[in-house]
Amino acid sequence: MRPLGVGLVYFQELDSLFREGNPELAVLELEPETLWEKFHPEGAGGEPVYLPNTEVIARIAALPQKKLVHSVGFPVGGAKCYGGDYVTPLAAAVRELNAAWASEHLSFNTFSTPSGLEQVGFLLPPRQTREGVELAVHNIRRLALGMQAPIAFETGVNYLKPRADELSDGAFFAGIAKGANCGILLDLHNLWANERNGRQPIEAVLDELPLDRVWEVHLAGGMLLDGYYLDSHSGAIAPELIDVAARVIPRLQNLGALIFEIQPGYVPRLGLAEVRRQLTLMNELWRLRPNERIIVSSAAASSMGAKEIPDDISQWERTLGMLALGHWPGDGANGSCGLVEDPAIPILQKLIGEFRSGRISRALHFTTTLMLASWGSERVHAFLNEYASQRYPDIFTSGEADRFACYLSEHLDHLPPAPYLRDVLRFEHALVRAALYGESAKVQWDIDLTELFDALEQGCLPAAVTPQKFTMEIAPDF
Amino acid sequence: MNSIEHTQDPDPFRRVKVYVTRDIAFNLDKMNQVTKKVLDRLGCEGCHSGRMIDFHIIEDFVVNPKLELQDLPGGRF
Repeated sequence: MRPLGVGLVYFQELDSLFREGNPELAVLELEPETLWEKFHPEGAGGEPVYLPNTEVIARIAALPQKKLVHSVGFPVGGAKCYGGDYVTPLAAAVRELNAAWASEHLSFNTFSTPSGLEQVGFLLPPRQTREGVELAVHNIRRLALGMQAPIAFETGVNYLKPRADELSDGAFFAGIAKGANCGILLDLHNLWANERNGRQPIEAVLDELPLDRVWEVHLAGGMLLDGYYLDSHSGAIAPELIDVAARVIPRLQNLGALIFEIQPGYVPRLGLAEVRRQLTLMNELWRLRPNERIIVSSAAASSMGAKEIPDDISQWERTLGMLALGHWPGDGANGSCGLVEDPAIPILQKLIGEFRSGRISRALHFTTTLMLASWGSERVHAFLNEYASQRYPDIFTSGEADRFACYLSEHLDHLPPAPYLRDVLRFEHALVRAALYGESAKVQWDIDLTELFDALEQGCLPAAVTPQKFTMEIAPDF
Repeated sequence: MNSIEHTQDPDPFRRVKVYVTRDIAFNLDKMNQVTKKVLDRLGCEGCHSGRMIDFHIIEDFVVNPKLELQDLPGGRF
């Protein structure tokens, strides 16, 4: 096939770039889960289903760029994935976008607890052993069966120290690519972050990889925090990383796409003009590729049954998951795989905390604003930390928001006063639960709530609000 | 309930409707914007392993509404 070209990960904030006829933007990569809603048809205890926003996906499919699918919610590096059938909507996204291939992360984000599966709310590094290779190979083959598309895995970021009892990063990636007969999404920013944080140097990783399996390269910008270089997708590509890419790309005989990643929250900071400049830089890199034709082969799909999970992997996931969430794993220091001492644990805890508060503030925007305006930052941070220590995360914004709203409702009587907080929380929580569980609710108001929301949108509490009694009914519509 | 439909985004993805009593005096368009703000953002965030700044953006705005963008504490690009 012909290579696809240079592209961007799609977000609404970048939509105009995909519509302006820029010849330097040839590829659109979609992270489909960002356009899904989670829904529990049988209520809170039941299995979720994932509902894609078909209208928005159809609009994206109509954009002129060639398409790729990059899954972000169900990584292939771990023993378990969060519940529900996610393969069917993923496969539908590949089909509707006519994606040349799909990719997933070589990470885990779920772990087993005595009370069942729980989520970490973040992509964590898998156990990097021979058994870990076998597990990832199994997962990729099973995913390939459902997807009916070529599959690549992304070379992940890993903030942990390298370990003597594990394979090198390069050997781990190579073993999986060969074992699963799949492609590699070579995330050079991840590998550069790994090197800067003390893991295997990027050139040494590349020397171990089957480079003919690299179909796609990701580039991004990062930032420093607490001594770590983060894969934060927060800005322009660093010149040093451009140099690395310029050395690597001529070696990638089957390179099909070169993609720039930026988080939507950082787009205003970088600016669309600068995103265009990144595309220009990447097109210069693109011209260094060696071939005009590439081979993208399908993974060896197989209908293998459930795989027995080695104790070592289960323990790794449980221990790292618990520590990253700020919980003591309970197996004692000897049973913690040495992870207790890893200096990256605090940064993982900090980042996961920010992911969780970010999800809460997205869905419960006015509740969050009201808390901040009434209590101040310090008190709100303390309460968010208290919540995080008591409840597990959810990668879906709706799920995290529901858990937080329940927790806040239970504690309202013991918290400092905040005008209208109970009403605003009840309103936003009802919207979330209608979408998440199909529940109906009635909310009684004693004020003109638009005046209240106008004030909150200005970042402050209203001086006065016109009294107005009415009932609002929030109901599912399906 | 004697109510009117609180019309929302025609996008079929919207699976939630909000009804209010017919005699309310406030701006329904405003209410639509408010509910859309909640319902539009219920999926997963994108792929990265860095800082998610959504909460900090609101926090900075509430602390000082005139500052639209500030450097994150501890974050250096």
